[in-house]
Amino acid sequence: MSKFNDFRSKLADELEIPNDALSDNFELSMHGNKKVIIENHLGLRVYEDNRVTVKTKDQDITIKGSKFKIKEINQYKVIVKGKIKEIVFSMKE
Amino acid sequence: MLIFKLMHLIRGYVVIRSDAINSEKILNILRRKNITVWDVQKKDKGTRFKISYDDYIKNYDLLKEIIKPAAKRGALIKLKKLKLRKGFSIGILILIISLYLLTSLIWEVEVVGTNQKNINNILAFLEENKLKVPFAISKTQAKKLETMIYNHFDYRFVDVIQEGSKLIIIVKEREAEPAEIKSNEPSSIIASKNAIVSKVIAKSGQPVVREGDVVYEGQTLIMGLVRKKNSDEFMMVPSDGIVYGKTYYNFEMKEAKVRSLSLATNKSKSVYYLKIKGNSIKIVGDKEPYENYNYREKVIKVPILSNITDISLLKGTWYEEVLKDIEIDKNTAENKMKISMYDELLKRCDDDSRILKSTINFSEDEEFYYLTAQIEVIEDIGERVRIYPLTEETEEKMEE
Repeated sequence: MSKFNDFRSKLADELEIPNDALSDNFELSMHGNKKVIIENHLGLRVYEDNRVTVKTKDQDITIKGSKFKIKEINQYKVIVKGKIKEIVFSMKE
Repeated sequence: MLIFKLMHLIRGYVVIRSDAINSEKILNILRRKNITVWDVQKKDKGTRFKISYDDYIKNYDLLKEIIKPAAKRGALIKLKKLKLRKGFSIGILILIISLYLLTSLIWEVEVVGTNQKNINNILAFLEENKLKVPFAISKTQAKKLETMIYNHFDYRFVDVIQEGSKLIIIVKEREAEPAEIKSNEPSSIIASKNAIVSKVIAKSGQPVVREGDVVYEGQTLIMGLVRKKNSDEFMMVPSDGIVYGKTYYNFEMKEAKVRSLSLATNKSKSVYYLKIKGNSIKIVGDKEPYENYNYREKVIKVPILSNITDISLLKGTWYEEVLKDIEIDKNTAENKMKISMYDELLKRCDDDSRILKSTINFSEDEEFYYLTAQIEVIEDIGERVRIYPLTEETEEKMEE
């Protein structure tokens, strides 16, 4: 995470406003192990039946499991549905 | 998500099939173009997803190179298609309008609650008032029609109901009021039933019976004919008074010791008929599938079709019943017979009657319980009847 982005994230926390309004950080929320919503993403890197990798500014998020479907994808968010077993965050070099 | 889908169902969407191996690339391109993609599914050969029809039109040049539209769906797209098929659209429109007109008109008028002559009179009255089938009628007009019929004819009750394309007029005729005898008209009091006179209270008129007399139904008790003072002539007067008499009522009743009751099981079978103008044609099901049964019918009206053509479905259900013998105990049977007896007595006597003596005997044989009773009642046995002076012709005939 760049220092400037880190600063913006801290500022958003202090001002008690949504983090993604000031910083480029992604926001991830899960509904049980059936649905993952990732906001502030940069697109898909991999989309397969058992694996979905979503690009964000600083890292890639890999969702592993089975029967994956993308319920919705637009500029702001991606909704992935399926049987989620594992979520892996890998930092970009 | 449901609202989102519904919105796109109305506005229209395009189902797209992509055979590209890297479907992620296509999705990323669409994302960059600010196109919302939903329901992305991996298939054996490629990917399938949906985008809105507006986005598809806006980015048609780009999309035609990378993807293939599989189907176009949604209400707006259907409407656009209909725009092209003008003849079909006009036909549908005419059909809807004619169905609306046909179902909103009254095609049949039914009058319930009176004889054929009066029904014809009411129908003629409707025609006079420019209500000849088919005609349209609103709720307020129905109320007006009620008032018109009520004012024009002498009915106690009028109700106008619109049921589909049928107008039902329910009328109730006035019951003929019993002719009342005016207090100043000459009258006599006669016995309304056989009795032994126990008390005579004559306020006006000449009593012709005394206490202890046995009188028969129709016999004069107080005569409305009295001698004029200081003259041999008679004059007719209105009679007034009360004559109490002892009457005897005999009852004989019997109640079976074993009674067969039909009890419903949970089994039932249905039969369906097509009903066309009162005739029923069986479609499916069996008639009388059980030995003992209870049968119920229900008419199922098909919307619009039933209103126009008088065709409806009839559902008959046969509920199975089993007969079971139940033994009735002596007390229950005696109480039941007693209650029936007093009910019967109440029907035969006046409200102010009084029971003097009652003798009730019970007996039984192998099959039945029996009740024999004699009830002695004291009651007003008088009934006023109008009397008329004899005309000359009648007098001559009597003399002959």
